[in-house]
Amino acid sequence: MRLLLILLLTLQINSLKADEIFNLLKIPNLDVYKLNNSNGLKYLNTKKSFKIGFENNIKCNETNKKNLDEKFNLISKNLSIYEKDFLNKINLRFIVLCEKLYISEINTAGIPDHKKRTLILDINFNKKYFERVIHHEVFHMIHNSFENIFNEEIWSNFNDKAFEYAECSTCSDRLGLDLYDKTNGFLTEYSKSIASEDMAEVFSFIMTDKLKIINIAKKDTILSNKIEFIKNGIKKIENFKF
Amino acid sequence: MIKKIKASVSEKILFIFLVLLGIFSFSFFFIINNKCLFVKNVDPEKIQFTNRQNIAIMNVECGNVIIELNPKLSPNAVKRFKYLIQNESYNRSAFYKVIEDTLIQAGDLEFGNIDNINYYKVGSGKSGLGTLKSELNESFKFDEGSVVFARNEQFNTEDSEFFITLKKIPLYVGEYTPIGKVIYGLDALKKIKVGNKVQYVLRPDFINYFKLLE
Repeated sequence: MRLLLILLLTLQINSLKADEIFNLLKIPNLDVYKLNNSNGLKYLNTKKSFKIGFENNIKCNETNKKNLDEKFNLISKNLSIYEKDFLNKINLRFIVLCEKLYISEINTAGIPDHKKRTLILDINFNKKYFERVIHHEVFHMIHNSFENIFNEEIWSNFNDKAFEYAECSTCSDRLGLDLYDKTNGFLTEYSKSIASEDMAEVFSFIMTDKLKIINIAKKDTILSNKIEFIKNGIKKIENFKF
Repeated sequence: MIKKIKASVSEKILFIFLVLLGIFSFSFFFIINNKCLFVKNVDPEKIQFTNRQNIAIMNVECGNVIIELNPKLSPNAVKRFKYLIQNESYNRSAFYKVIEDTLIQAGDLEFGNIDNINYYKVGSGKSGLGTLKSELNESFKFDEGSVVFARNEQFNTEDSEFFITLKKIPLYVGEYTPIGKVIYGLDALKKIKVGNKVQYVLRPDFINYFKLLE
């Protein structure tokens, strides 16, 4: 029995070749793309597709070199806004870049892993809103580190009493990322999925299109409250200049 | 009457060839079975150290590995490391995790002793001394022969396990608590048994003994 278990263990691990990155992050088939960034972020590239997580439910493909070089400029420009101390506080150190990121067969922009201080980013996700999506995913890292500050119950109370979020972000068909003409407390359709996605959407707009949503919020009290909640929450973590 | 038969030239050549083949086969068998053949063993007694109190000697199959500890960088980690060495806790500790040409890991005191290694649990053992707070330092360069405490995916979980890098790994800067650097005997570490594409090694090599110079 013991030998059988050892054999199975051996065969299981044998399917991937361990290296120093796997040793650190438990994600196979990565190589270093860029270290030594001023804010301490370390960028890793996917050289071959990988599967990780419970029953390998997270999958992502290797990057195309030309595509990666182009997207990297956008990604690093957007992430350079965050300073090293702030990134340390929100437990973000590694950015894994890949293409066609799926979790449980659902295409997703990013997967934050608070414990491993890693954010996996699909460099091909939604070209139209790519930059905003980066900040959206960063917010999930913030939220994971400071759930007490970004309390979902307090947040949900900003909404009309009749409104209810879905059970989970992946069990909802509210996926649109276009900015509503008439917001009514929600910037996008995706904002209506769950509270944490709603927060992430507000944060992402603050980081990429601040003036526009501040103008919208002048006529939308719920949205105005939400924007203030996010800004005040971030200021509790770091003296962040919006 | 026995008639003496003279060997032909081709028979002589064949005989010489067979003798040479035998010698070659024997030598080759001897060489491939002795992985330490070209590893120079270092005698610490013949080396002049400036800080003898921070020199540790780890003896493995292919000889001595001399490590210079760096308590200035991580005082608590080095204190723990020295304590475990002095208590002979690392003696016969298995290099159960080896990534070829990259790093070797040992020091699971609970499940990683070669005399009763537990393949189910190795890597999860504890020293009984509790975990240490990570002492990270961005100035510590992860060159070949860097000795650091291992941890699980969270910081502040260092205990007794350590690993030694066999190549430069800049990605690890600021990620692990440094203990010191190998100053002699890295070749002996490069001969540590590797798993077949697997980082966990069956019937692994181990530390014969670990001691402080003073």
